[in-house]
Amino acid sequence: MGVQVNEQTKTEHRWGMAIDLDRCTGCQACVAACHAENNLPLSDPQSAAKGRAVHWIRVDRYYEGEFPNIRVKYMPVLCQQCDEAPCEPVCPVYATYKNAEGLNVQVYNRCIGTRYCGNNCPYSVRFFNWFDPNWPAPLDLQLNPDVSIRESGVMEKCTFCIQRIQRAKGEAKEENRPLTDGAIQPACVQSCPAEAMVFGDLNDLESKVSRLAESGRVTHLLEELGTKPKVFYLQKAE
Amino acid sequence: MYLKGDFQEKDAAAQALRDLKAIGFSGADLDVFSDEPIEFRRGVLDRPSRMSLTVVVGAITFCLLTIGFVYYTQYDYPLVTGGMPIFSFWATGVVFYELTMLGSILTTLACFLWESGLLRRRRAPAPVVEPEVICIRVHCQADQAENVSRCLTRAGAQDVGRIGDRYE
Amino acid sequence: MAAGPEIIPYSEVRQDLWRPLSGASPRYVAMVFFLLAVSLWGLFSWGYQLHEGIGVAGIQRPVFWGFYLVDFVFWIGISHAGTLISAILRLTDAQWRKPVTRAAEAITVFALMIGGLFPVIHLGRAWIFYWLIPYPNSRLLWPNFRSPLVWDLTAISTYLMGSTVYLFLPLIPDVAQLSQHATGWRRKLYRALSLGWTGSDREWHALERAMKLMAAIILAVAVSVHTVVSWDFSMAIAPMWHSTIFGPYFVVGAIFSGIAALLVVMAIIRKTMHFERYLTPHHFNNLAKLLLLMSLLWLYFSVAENLTVWYGNEPKEMQVFGARARGHFAPYFWIMVFCNFVVPFVLLGIKRLRTIRTATIAGVTVLIGMWLERFIIVVPTLARSRLPATWGRYAPTWVEISISAATFAVMALLYLLFSKLFPIVSVWEFEPHPEEED
Repeated sequence: MGVQVNEQTKTEHRWGMAIDLDRCTGCQACVAACHAENNLPLSDPQSAAKGRAVHWIRVDRYYEGEFPNIRVKYMPVLCQQCDEAPCEPVCPVYATYKNAEGLNVQVYNRCIGTRYCGNNCPYSVRFFNWFDPNWPAPLDLQLNPDVSIRESGVMEKCTFCIQRIQRAKGEAKEENRPLTDGAIQPACVQSCPAEAMVFGDLNDLESKVSRLAESGRVTHLLEELGTKPKVFYLQKAE
Repeated sequence: MYLKGDFQEKDAAAQALRDLKAIGFSGADLDVFSDEPIEFRRGVLDRPSRMSLTVVVGAITFCLLTIGFVYYTQYDYPLVTGGMPIFSFWATGVVFYELTMLGSILTTLACFLWESGLLRRRRAPAPVVEPEVICIRVHCQADQAENVSRCLTRAGAQDVGRIGDRYE
Repeated sequence: MAAGPEIIPYSEVRQDLWRPLSGASPRYVAMVFFLLAVSLWGLFSWGYQLHEGIGVAGIQRPVFWGFYLVDFVFWIGISHAGTLISAILRLTDAQWRKPVTRAAEAITVFALMIGGLFPVIHLGRAWIFYWLIPYPNSRLLWPNFRSPLVWDLTAISTYLMGSTVYLFLPLIPDVAQLSQHATGWRRKLYRALSLGWTGSDREWHALERAMKLMAAIILAVAVSVHTVVSWDFSMAIAPMWHSTIFGPYFVVGAIFSGIAALLVVMAIIRKTMHFERYLTPHHFNNLAKLLLLMSLLWLYFSVAENLTVWYGNEPKEMQVFGARARGHFAPYFWIMVFCNFVVPFVLLGIKRLRTIRTATIAGVTVLIGMWLERFIIVVPTLARSRLPATWGRYAPTWVEISISAATFAVMALLYLLFSKLFPIVSVWEFEPHPEEED
């Protein structure tokens, strides 16, 4: 198993993420960090009750066994940045497509809000802006200037913190040095206290994420659908 | 000049048409007016049409134009979606089909407007058609008027006369 | 019901069929105002939605599509009324269709216009819906022709164009006749629309040839249109959407709901315009038999789809199937089966029960059942997404209900106005039906 290096897109970078389920404690620091970093619309109990809560990364809980031998598995689910994403061909206006670095990008100002991509995502990691976002004070003071605010009617999802990727690439270019492995950390990866998440360049065979991809514990979510996700989960085989 | 004669029976009108053809008029000079379509036997007053062929040609033209357009636009700003090729015949085949059919529809409409003679600027004067009356109009020279009137009356026409120069 | 055809003198035919065009009874005016009020309320609701955001509708993650898509498929389905009557029956030379064609084609055109609105209504940013249309723009972008939604655009535009041509062409001779007897602004309108029609044989031949071609073309287009609409769903990999049966299933369902709509419309026309001599029990009998046939066909496709899902026992699909047949959506599912199969089968299958009234009741029931069928197709699949952690639910809000109801009002309003301007039974095509066995 492992993540195939895509012959079609042999570009400079190919971003991937490894999530070690045996380390994840389900603390949801990644969820909170993502909210802060990406200016997510406020999700309160009312919006959650209406099915309108937005969490670009969420932690799914799977319970196994009977009391008193219950085991819980925590699985952070975010946009899998599929190589053959089912959400992409159905967008009528090219608001989502695969860019040269393998990221499934969402172009907010192109989106007209048909929400077909949301229906076609098997992981349900796509979210819609039902209203214009509103952050009651003092939350409106903590918005990240690097990330655009999405208006009503636009789809959004995890971008692998593309703003951090762009900044790191820009800095490396200015300083005329190559990107070092671990220089780019999306907010979720950065905040995980158990260090369960690893982000890096799959095209760099020496990077930590590439080496983890060779491990025998690699699994993919809903692999049978052929979406070729670039997020892989490490878990002990049962 | 234009002469006309009214008939009540389809067969009488058909006979009149045959007689008129016998004295030298062709289908181009003859017109039959009625308030519902009249089916004559073959050979009485045929109107050959190339509508079917034109529609097929129109449809194929639209099809080729559409394929070209989609090909051009997909490559003009190529974006990879879901692993599909930039130009995918099967993924866009539906668009080709629909616009082919649109071509056939528009061509049919155009052919109808052309072959019926509607929307042409200067048209010959037409008689006002009463219900259940078949009116034959003949385009003839002044010296043939006598012959034509006699022909129409002999076939059983009523109200044989000349139609005015203005469209009425 | 098997009486000989009544031979009505032609002058009486014209008089009868033209009578509804003049004057407006108080009941008519009241109806127009009522429908206008409902339509305006729907328009206001849409304006409210545009202003506040689409969150005022009941849709939520993961049920991203709700009432609007259901209505969209429903109305495009209704539009197949005209196609069946006009095209299929014309191609098979069934004479009994003649008084019914224009009514059916009018349903088609108006249903398409309404159905075509919904892809705009359901958009999150509806004010830039025109980005779906390919035109050179400053963003240097073209629409994604791989998307089934762009296929929808081409299909529905083509069908609308074709249906309008198909409605308009046979209208020309009638309008030409009307222009000779009308006065005032009507005379000007009819004159303009008649394009200078004089009734010459060249014109008739061109018309007949064009109609024959259009019948075949419109049939091909109609089948493709509803197939393309169904592919909005079946091209997605959502469980119980990704089914190869959707194309034919939807086409059959469309013709089914189209005939039901036509039955209802015809019954209303017959009553309100006193067309008892023109829309005879014979017509209703034939349409009722067609409705019964389509009901059986619908049942066949439904059984084929559900049986294969149940027998295959694939877990994700069974979640959706269970939700439909036994779970949260079960009441709607079984009401749908009752409305679509049981009622038509009983009312129309038993010869003694098959009357104009029961045919109309069956038509109304089928319309309800087919709307529910669209709902059953769209919502449960989305509510039972692949990852159970993301399951959701759906409940419509007043905005969605208002807009949906308003579309029925708009349809009725357009129809009322159309039947006041043009004879709803084609005068030049009218001839008494031949005697047939019932």
